[in-house]
Amino acid sequence: MTDTTASTHSAGTTVVTHLHKGDSPAPEVPTEQILAVSAKEFIPLWKENLQGLVNKGMDTLTQPLFNWAGRNSLFPLHLGLACCAIEFAAGFGARWDAERFGVVPRSSPRQCDLLIINGTVTWKFSHKLITLWEQMPEPKWAIAMGNCATGGGPFRTAYSVVPGVDKLFPIDVYIAGCPPRPEAMLDGILRLERLIRERHG
Amino acid sequence: MTAVSSWPEALARLKAEVPDAITGESARPGVLAVLAVPAPSIRRLATWLRDEGTFSHCSLVLGIDWIDHMEVVYHLWSDALKGYLELSVTLPAEDPHVDSLGGVWGGAIWHERETWDLLGIRFDGHPDPRRLLMPEGYKFHPLRKSFELREPEELEVKSRHV
Ligand code: SF4
Repeated sequence: MTDTTASTHSAGTTVVTHLHKGDSPAPEVPTEQILAVSAKEFIPLWKENLQGLVNKGMDTLTQPLFNWAGRNSLFPLHLGLACCAIEFAAGFGARWDAERFGVVPRSSPRQCDLLIINGTVTWKFSHKLITLWEQMPEPKWAIAMGNCATGGGPFRTAYSVVPGVDKLFPIDVYIAGCPPRPEAMLDGILRLERLIRERHG
Repeated sequence: MTAVSSWPEALARLKAEVPDAITGESARPGVLAVLAVPAPSIRRLATWLRDEGTFSHCSLVLGIDWIDHMEVVYHLWSDALKGYLELSVTLPAEDPHVDSLGGVWGGAIWHERETWDLLGIRFDGHPDPRRLLMPEGYKFHPLRKSFELREPEELEVKSRHV
């Protein structure tokens, strides 16, 4: 005599158990049903314990590799806001050649992991800048280049200028100067590389 | 009717054909004349200047805050007369507004948007009455003399749909 009852598993999944009474022989359970029960029990087990462990293990193995690859190929957005953008552009020219550090400006925020804000940010442009920042995929970093982006610069008290772009989103490295020379920009990028290594390495 | 060929001729015809459109006339180096225009007749005068007076190009619209009153200045260029004409409209300090010349010279549209944005002078009948330089939703007209320095929190426009 066999009856099948359903009991609710702690994780919310329904597990089918087979009860048999008296001395009647153990019932034949079809193989497919055993498999189905196993899968149902395995999923919560996987979700609760194994998945996290496996992911963590994979992360431990791959994190240094991704970190090394990421910090040595920081792709900034090709965005010029004001006079500092001239130094930014010079930094990618023949004399300073930022590309030897793996820094290649890209034209789409979807392909970037670094936003260099090189110039004066106005309130009118701030919404567009936030949109660009949000379009960039994680992980991403931001550098405020020049006094304007750092704290408003000579226009700090102006009615139209954001006094420091960290009012809009978090900044990792600040570069002082009006404008900072391309060497300073390269130094800022190298400091960001060191910061990525120390913070996530 | 033939086009005007000199400024005195244009002025004489202007006075005959658009009566009461100007209240004063003065000279300034660099321009043909400076005409003081009462606010209600500016569009009538502008249409005449464009169609009959050969002033085909409005090169500048600007506002001046004189604290006790506001002034709007227009610079018009004539290819035939090879010179600029300056129109000046005096407006009250409280709620200054004047007819838009965007329908007469398309080039005035952006200048009037800028004047509205920075000085708060309204242009009635403007085809596109938005701010030009400051974000939509900005609460101030910052080139007014009464505008004072403010904290950034007051200036920030929070809405993302601008
Ligand atoms: S910091 Fe100086 S050089 Fe850079 S954008 Fe501002 S004013 Fe221009």
